[in-house]
Amino acid sequence: MPESKVIVQTYRRERTMSLLFMAPAVLFLLFTSVYPLLYSLRLSFFSWNMTVPNSHPVYIGWDNYTRLFSDSNFLASVRVTLIFVVVSVALEFLLGMMLALLATANVKAIGLIRTVLLIPLMMTPVVVGVLWRTLFHSTYGAINFFIGLIGIAPQPWVADPVQALPSVIAVEIWQQLPVVVFILAAGIQSLPIDLYKAARVDGASSWQIFREITLPLLRPVILVVLLLRIMDAFRVFDIIWTLTFGGPGRTTELLSILIYKSGLQFFQIGQASAMSWLFLLVIFFISIFFIRALQKRNR
Amino acid sequence: MQSTPNYQLRRTIENLALYLATAVVLIVLAFPAYWLVTTAFKYEVDTIVSPPIIVPLRGTLENFRLVLGAPDIGRFFTNSVIVALTSTGFAILLGSLAAYALAKTYLGFALRQAIMFWILITRIYPPVTTAIPYFIIIRRLGISDTHFALILTHVTYSLPFVIWLMLGFFQDLPEEIEKAAIVDGCSLWQRFIHVILPLGLPGIAVTAIFTFIYSWNEFLYASMLTSVSAKTLPVVIAGYMSDKFLKWGEMSALASLMILPVMIFAALTQRYLVRGLTFGAVKE
Repeated sequence: MPESKVIVQTYRRERTMSLLFMAPAVLFLLFTSVYPLLYSLRLSFFSWNMTVPNSHPVYIGWDNYTRLFSDSNFLASVRVTLIFVVVSVALEFLLGMMLALLATANVKAIGLIRTVLLIPLMMTPVVVGVLWRTLFHSTYGAINFFIGLIGIAPQPWVADPVQALPSVIAVEIWQQLPVVVFILAAGIQSLPIDLYKAARVDGASSWQIFREITLPLLRPVILVVLLLRIMDAFRVFDIIWTLTFGGPGRTTELLSILIYKSGLQFFQIGQASAMSWLFLLVIFFISIFFIRALQKRNR
Repeated sequence: MQSTPNYQLRRTIENLALYLATAVVLIVLAFPAYWLVTTAFKYEVDTIVSPPIIVPLRGTLENFRLVLGAPDIGRFFTNSVIVALTSTGFAILLGSLAAYALAKTYLGFALRQAIMFWILITRIYPPVTTAIPYFIIIRRLGISDTHFALILTHVTYSLPFVIWLMLGFFQDLPEEIEKAAIVDGCSLWQRFIHVILPLGLPGIAVTAIFTFIYSWNEFLYASMLTSVSAKTLPVVIAGYMSDKFLKWGEMSALASLMILPVMIFAALTQRYLVRGLTFGAVKE
């Protein structure tokens, strides 16, 4: 047999084998991910209240979607979600950048900072929720005790319609700040050290070095951190569910909470599916940028 | 370089301020965990007091005894272990096979990119968006409140993550050994079993730990799909909020026991943490 034919045959065999390697994962996800999502898309065009016995979905076209745009609960939830995502990610980024710079500039403290940061990051979100409920407690909680030491009156925190959202954002920042610090610190440490030395010799100040060297070189990493955090912040569910349950009133009712409540507590299946799909489309849109950044790095 | 006394003094003050700020931030970050662990060892009368006891001078193991002696707690613990271990096993099995196929070039560039894109999308969507279809489908199949149902949802969520992370680990392996195996006439399957798996074992271990932690902590699907027989620990913890909210000591004891394995695992995989957090996009 000529050698080239053997190569072609081997290549074909390896290709078939590769397809077989892929098949279980792809088939699994087709059943458990693609099918449920398409089913949910279908349901979003139907009206179906599952609490009514023997009820069946009734086709109503785009009604679920058009209704959403005049649904004050939905619009309020979109607003709360956007505030939650933008404020928490922005503050996480600012604080995270500061801590990352500190940690990397300070080899001695880096071990301690790492250990301390690992704790909130790895804590079960449900535990975070119940734990902070005890910390926020107006009479027995530690937070009101500490602010009392510096002369501030006890606050209601998560029990107050105005303070609830900022309180929840603070908890989110507490748990997710480490993500930003770890990733940015890794990015900073991979930057070429020669450039820094050269800049120092030229008499550049710390701020100049940060603005002219660190920031531009860190751009790809910053992009990954921001997109990752934005997508994750949209997903938050457990912390809010255990901390405020979306309340008081609807002041911390993020989209994920609203969808869960209307779908699985009030069983407005069609309406909740329509919300899910609108939510999905927004996340898809953001994630395309993230995936582009990922694929560029993997090439 | 400047080194006038004035400049030196300014630097010292700046450094001091920086250290102080860092110390404050670290204390704020660490305090809640300290509060959780100390509450777990407090007597019941010491948990619900005003002002709260920040530094407890006496402690007890009573909370742990109560929590571990509660009926069914053994079952909930076993449920959590079964679900986390099985879903990790499945995700690693399916994921490492797929990742290896994607790491090689036999499938062609466009197809591999398309599959990777689709797979990542399935990981990125908010879990709540599939909550409703899962709930309905799993009820129709008659598998509500079973380990199997919960495992299915956990594998769905962790599989894309496993594939992406393993892909990075496989791409980092030295090519020479595999090339030698090709010359020796090893097939793709033989190379995977005898070369890639042994070499990639650290990567597999790290990925498995991340997957285990996700499943161990997962709450949304667990609370929606399980009620009695397959209930996992996060659902039990969340229950403390509704019916026994003032049992801070017991709640903290159970929560401490629950996060203990996670902390140990996290310490073991520290070196790969950033990789895991970024789907392999940023490497340490």
